[in-house]
Amino acid sequence: MRQIALYGKGGIGKSTTSANLSAAFSEMNLDVMQIGCDPKHDSTRMLMHGRWIPTVLEQMYDQKKIKSEDIIYQGFGNIRCVEAGGPEPGIGCAGRGIIATFQLLEKMNSLYGDVIVYDVLGDVVCGGFAMPMRDGYAQEVYLVTSGELMSLYAANNICKAIARISERSTAKCRLAGVICNARNMENEQELVEEFAKRIGSKLICYIPRSNSVRTAEVNQMTVIEHDPTSEQAAVYRDCAKTMLDNTDLRIPTPLELEELEELAREYL
Amino acid sequence: MAGCTLTGALSVACFIPGAVTVVHAPNGCAHQTFSMLHALMNEAETKIVPEILVSGLSDKDVIFGGEACLSQALDRAAEKHPELIIVVTSCVPETIGDDCLAVCREHAFADRTLYIPTSGFLGGRAKDGENAALIGLSTLAAPAESIPGTVGIIGEKNLESEVEENFAEVSRLLDLLDLTVTVRFCRNAGIADLRKLGTVSCFILRDGRCADAGRELGKRFNRPVIGEFPRGLSGSIAFLQETGKACGLSADVIAEAISKETEHQKMMLERFANLSESEVCLGVEPFEGTLAVAREALKRLGMTESPEGIKVRLPFYLPVGVSGTMKMLYLWRRAILHG
Repeated sequence: MRQIALYGKGGIGKSTTSANLSAAFSEMNLDVMQIGCDPKHDSTRMLMHGRWIPTVLEQMYDQKKIKSEDIIYQGFGNIRCVEAGGPEPGIGCAGRGIIATFQLLEKMNSLYGDVIVYDVLGDVVCGGFAMPMRDGYAQEVYLVTSGELMSLYAANNICKAIARISERSTAKCRLAGVICNARNMENEQELVEEFAKRIGSKLICYIPRSNSVRTAEVNQMTVIEHDPTSEQAAVYRDCAKTMLDNTDLRIPTPLELEELEELAREYL
Repeated sequence: MAGCTLTGALSVACFIPGAVTVVHAPNGCAHQTFSMLHALMNEAETKIVPEILVSGLSDKDVIFGGEACLSQALDRAAEKHPELIIVVTSCVPETIGDDCLAVCREHAFADRTLYIPTSGFLGGRAKDGENAALIGLSTLAAPAESIPGTVGIIGEKNLESEVEENFAEVSRLLDLLDLTVTVRFCRNAGIADLRKLGTVSCFILRDGRCADAGRELGKRFNRPVIGEFPRGLSGSIAFLQETGKACGLSADVIAEAISKETEHQKMMLERFANLSESEVCLGVEPFEGTLAVAREALKRLGMTESPEGIKVRLPFYLPVGVSGTMKMLYLWRRAILHG
């Protein structure tokens, strides 16, 4: 079983990328599960044709005897969709919510299949969000970033978390690569490629900005489902294939802030 | 006393008749704290059963926020129609960011609810919890004109086995100065009594543990603060001197009180005259200051200290005034004369 996690700055397109990759994996006749690990609980919406599925945390506390069908919903391509959920912004502890979700999924023996895609909240703000990495769920971490400085900054911070966690003797978490979800900036691909190289990894996929993503989302579908013959769908399929073939997992070497800023300036 | 702020805050809040204390914490956390209080109260032969309610924070509340849980606990507390609801918090609501003050202010019983932000271990140790409770509860009292001849006792150690004996000793000394304790803050004093805090002319702290509260109260009510109960014999004389002066008594009144106390101490020591010339080995000092009190008594009785002497125990709590010293000497006499 491959356990792939996508981390990156909030709003960078992790959920869109995750959903399209899951759809691409399912087209390869793989048994796929996607777990949204964000209190926003919108990771799997496009796979569920716009449906907001009940979250694990809602179900966990509303029902006495929770069954797998209460939290796992079948979406496009028979992908098993799960949303961890969490508190309203500004209250409670979302990190603890992530931990509780994984404990429940583990207890229910629900973590199985050929590929599990974890779509994790952008900023690893506390131990709870690092838990999928720490406890061996997120074994192959992909950083989703654009060429914007703040996006690279967030990706670099996640590298710090991966590097720290990887030092543990029990750790299975490694950086598998960088995905550039482009904003169509000048020299963007070269910049992200260089960033990936400097942190000791590689750019595995460049996803150009495309109107087909917006169109698919408006129609509450992934690009793979809505416009399967489009160039963008082909990009996601290629990316999924590259990820499956990828065995080059590394411990990253995060950059100092000055180095990161200098890098961004070089590619202006 | 060890433990987190909850233990300290409850050791103050549990001794206010008519009040209910709400502990915003998981059940286990409150249980641990209460077990400790219960054990100490048993040792002190305290018969009161404190009104404590726990909000019972669960995993769900940790994730989604515990404010509703606190509000429900306040509802349950209000059903008991207490004169006052005191809210203390564990580390959990502090960690997850519950706005407990807002919940208390928005509750239907807000005018009778006092929020004390203790925050479990995040707020410090038991001592800090005691001070937070004393400072919080002092806000019940408005500044007032001081009544001459009155004093307030601050921060008695409610879980100490000799709390009433110590109070009696301090009252005896104050009586020599013609001073009266009108508020015991907080020792079995109702809410109405606690509100009189601003009327006393001087605050006497139980000891240095409540120094933070003493500073705050002294500043807020603009009153002198005596730092601790008298330690042993010479400490009692110093206490009379300092308290008399702080309360604005004349030098003659103070001198007369000291003279009476000197005579009282002399008479007390005469009762232990058969210990003179005994050679003793003092035990380990449980709290700083006990050895000094013991050595003074030893010297005044004509005893000597030697590693080869009869081993005598030092009291667990620092001896307060003459009565504390006398209790210590009884223990010594038993060891010296009867082994």
